[in-house]
Amino acid sequence: MADDTSSDDLTIKQQREKRRAEKVANLKAKQAKEKRNQRVGVGAAIVGGVAVVAVLVGIVVTSATPPVDPATIEVEGLQTFDGLEAVHVQSAVDYTMSPPAGGPHNPTWLNCGVYEEEVPAEYAVHSLEHGAVWVTYNPEQVSGGDLDTLRSQMPRSYMILSPFSGLDAPVVASAWGVQVALDGIDDPRLREFIIKYRQSPDAPEPGALCSQALDGPGKIS
Amino acid sequence: MSTSPAEATAAPALSRPRLIVAGVLLVLVALVVGAIVGRVTATSTAPMPGESSAEAGFSRDMQVHHGQAVEMALLVRDRSDDPEIRLLALDIATAQAQQQGQMFAWLAIWGLPQTSSEPEMDWLSRPVIDGSAGHEGHGGHTPGEPMPGVASFEQMQALQNATGVEAERFFLELMIAHHQGGVDMADAVIARSGHPQVTTLARGMVQLQSKELDYMSELLAARS
Repeated sequence: MADDTSSDDLTIKQQREKRRAEKVANLKAKQAKEKRNQRVGVGAAIVGGVAVVAVLVGIVVTSATPPVDPATIEVEGLQTFDGLEAVHVQSAVDYTMSPPAGGPHNPTWLNCGVYEEEVPAEYAVHSLEHGAVWVTYNPEQVSGGDLDTLRSQMPRSYMILSPFSGLDAPVVASAWGVQVALDGIDDPRLREFIIKYRQSPDAPEPGALCSQALDGPGKIS
Repeated sequence: MSTSPAEATAAPALSRPRLIVAGVLLVLVALVVGAIVGRVTATSTAPMPGESSAEAGFSRDMQVHHGQAVEMALLVRDRSDDPEIRLLALDIATAQAQQQGQMFAWLAIWGLPQTSSEPEMDWLSRPVIDGSAGHEGHGGHTPGEPMPGVASFEQMQALQNATGVEAERFFLELMIAHHQGGVDMADAVIARSGHPQVTTLARGMVQLQSKELDYMSELLAARS
């Protein structure tokens, strides 16, 4: 505020003008403030809007990891075998497919693992009943570095890997009731087959032991 | 909104854009609230962890981990006539086989394969819930490295070839390491999951296996 002594010196006209100037200044300040508020408001609305959209996008993106329903995995060239009998027999079995992918089998199952020698089929079929995947390879076509690579691709449990002489393809993967012949160790269908069928609920007894029964010859892991 | 058209026309330059902004904001807020409420309520009733979730990774790896514990327990039961060891082995084998079944069923219900499409323990790289750096609750384990506490092929063979007190001692040593790894894995999923069934089972594992760790240390000391 202006002090009294100076305002006493002013004429009425000067005082009026001063008051008007003050009024104008006040109005201008008020308008500037409103304008600022409006700008702040619009800015905040934009920031808020962007944040809201970001949150929504985030929610949508994080909940959108699609499940891989095993039923939707299609393994090209898959062979299926229906009406397999899950019965125990002590004798040798004449299987309709080679390598066998289910059917009558020995009461003793083959322990899962990596074998460097051929394994008895009647025992391996019992392991398929327990949800194992049996990967066989033609030893004339898969050896050395390729064999090391194939071995390194095997999951830790419920897998059997063994040579199988006279195989029609370099690699054949079998599970209970299903089989696929593969072009080689890097055929992408091997991985698809293992993901879809290892411990599949479609096997008769997934989760039943695949250890503590028969260790075939040449078991290396 | 309560603003009448008359008021809106009285000061069109100010209130119309504000009305629009307010309306848009209201719609966005409603969307966010709806999405969050929907999400939270869905999580508490029907959660469906996805292919690359920590829950799925845990359910797969822990089934394999438990599978080896069952195997070790059954092996020592056939190789020892000590009632304490045989009862502990029976306890571990039946409890962990039952838990394997729970995790198997979750994956089936979630519509996910039992076999992972990524290396074991890769789910450790999923973020932890409390937003900390991610080193909480996995005992310094590196994502994608083999599971902690798992016995090697050679160790399993040695257990298979041992008998009597030697088998008991070896079993206890292997199972102590196995349980410690199992507790780390369970802690890791607790840090990463808000799924009620998964975290309840994992907490149970931590509690039970911690108690068994103390008990096994006593049994081992008595045989050293």
